[in-house]
Amino acid sequence: MCSNLLETRDLRVEVGGVPILSGVDMAFESGKVYAVLGPNASGKSTLAKTIMGLPDYKVIGGDILLEGESILSKNISERARLGIAYAFQTPPPISGVKLEDFICRICPDYQCKAETDHFMSESCMCSHELYEDFDRLGIGNLAQRDLNDGFSGGESKRSELFQVLSMRPRIMFLDEPDSGLDYDSLKIVGRELKAIREKGDVTLVIISHHRYVLEFLEVDKVYILKNGRVAYTGDMNDIPVLEEKGYERFLAEVLG
Amino acid sequence: MKTDELRKRATEAKNKKAEYGDDIDLDEYSLSSDHGRMSSLDDLSESDRELVKDVGFDPSEDKVAGSFIQFDNESILADVLMAQEGLEVLPLAEALTKYNFLKDYLWNAVPVDADKYTARSELVDYNGYFIRAKARARIEMPVQSCLIMKKDQSLQNVHNIVIAEEGSELHIITGCATPSSVEQSLHLGISEFYVKRKARLTFTMVHRWNEKTDVRPRSATVVEEGGTYISSYAILSPLRSIQTFPKVHLRGRNAKADLYSVVYGSQNSVYDIGGLLSLEAPKTQGKVVSRSIATDTSRIIARGDLVGLSGETKARLECDGLLISSGASIRAVPMLHAMAEGAELSHEATVGKVGAEQLSYLMSRGLDEEEATSLIIRGFVKLKVPDLPPALQSSIDEAIRLSLEGGM
Repeated sequence: MCSNLLETRDLRVEVGGVPILSGVDMAFESGKVYAVLGPNASGKSTLAKTIMGLPDYKVIGGDILLEGESILSKNISERARLGIAYAFQTPPPISGVKLEDFICRICPDYQCKAETDHFMSESCMCSHELYEDFDRLGIGNLAQRDLNDGFSGGESKRSELFQVLSMRPRIMFLDEPDSGLDYDSLKIVGRELKAIREKGDVTLVIISHHRYVLEFLEVDKVYILKNGRVAYTGDMNDIPVLEEKGYERFLAEVLG
Repeated sequence: MKTDELRKRATEAKNKKAEYGDDIDLDEYSLSSDHGRMSSLDDLSESDRELVKDVGFDPSEDKVAGSFIQFDNESILADVLMAQEGLEVLPLAEALTKYNFLKDYLWNAVPVDADKYTARSELVDYNGYFIRAKARARIEMPVQSCLIMKKDQSLQNVHNIVIAEEGSELHIITGCATPSSVEQSLHLGISEFYVKRKARLTFTMVHRWNEKTDVRPRSATVVEEGGTYISSYAILSPLRSIQTFPKVHLRGRNAKADLYSVVYGSQNSVYDIGGLLSLEAPKTQGKVVSRSIATDTSRIIARGDLVGLSGETKARLECDGLLISSGASIRAVPMLHAMAEGAELSHEATVGKVGAEQLSYLMSRGLDEEEATSLIIRGFVKLKVPDLPPALQSSIDEAIRLSLEGGM
């Protein structure tokens, strides 16, 4: 009985003619938490971007299955609507589109119920809960700003997390949610992730090359990528060892 | 200036071609004249009511200080709401008979012999609005005006004069439109703005023409010491051609002007749109910001010209274009001309397409490609004018929204 929500089978991917993933097999079950670790340039982000369907990531072999069905022929929007979400590492600025308006657009839950009372202005598209949630993630100050325009590293991470959560996905890929965060931001993000885990209704895939954010929540499975392949599959207990030894030595020892 | 003198100069310039834009044979157009002034906005027909609303005019007059409407060459309404002390809105023809001093303002900012269009404008009958905020009057609600062309094969000849007297504050929103049924017409619009000492004038204009209309507005502004002039202009409809190059003269110390424009080019339309900022006194400053989007087979030329005639001055030009059709073209022409040491002039011009990265990003949030493209374009054309009263900003937003809904 296969309970995998999403899996990749022998996935091979090229970017601009350069092979990055050379046969990745991974499986993600419903409601579980995964960490995809690995040294720089091991293919971690490529994996997530390919699953999301971003245009420069060309699948040259293998398959991506969502509940057993291939999604290779689906475009980005279709994948998003199937419940796949990806939080960008450096999201591009979109001028003239306010963060709050955008969130209300992508998430029906936040839309103002009494919309017809205010036909003119865009500012009433959102409900009050939105601002409470903004405050919880400490991004209330970004609400009126243009999407990603001049956001700091920490602000981007929190706004990405917020957006991806708003979409109520079934599986979300967070691309280095902890890089460039100061300790306070890290705590906010960590707490949020912990809350998601406790709710247990979304599969969480955290891509990282260190353990900071992983200290906040329990991880069910750890995948270590190296040179475009899964070099090791383990669990939480490997993380402290990994930190102590580094990828090179850790992999050399466990792989004999 | 004497009337005969003006006539003489205009006659001499009758065939003088404009510096920019395709030449138009003025003999093809006759001046339409029509009579009958409305006493109230209630007399507007339902279709006219819709038309004026599309360019930001609010027939209910809920949030305005005054209103002016002109159809073809006949002014039909000039109205100041009761509570507005210090505001005057009159048809120009009437104002010229009433006030002798206006002769000094007529054809003062815009030279009558600038080209054949200004010349023609003087040589035939004209009307338009005269709007004045008296000294120290702060008119917080905008004055709305609307100029509509309804006659076929005709020439609409408008001459407007706006004066913000010393220490006053005045906001004007003007909409110009032709209903889609009108065949071949030409709009000539002369606008002269005078911003006196420490006065503040904002002028917002939304154009909505049809594809058989040629448009040649000529406008200029003189800003005195400590005065501020903010102009925002949006043209989002197709037309046959438009060429306009408003000039702002910062004459007094500390005078300031910002010019914003948004052009959404569609069909086979030709847009030649620019703005000139002339820094003529120390400590004057300003910027010219333009955004162009070219679709279909439209052609857009976006010009900006900064002229530094005095030291201790600063101005900036920003000119961004988005080309979303291979049949279309955008030409950005930034010009900087410094003639005094200490004039700091700068520019930035870009032309590109809708970014693939932006598109993927928005699609990853569940929007389809069309929705994502449209959101990027809407964001790009959003005319954000700092310091504009919220009522005016929402009028612009609404007019842009309506125009895009028609065209996209």
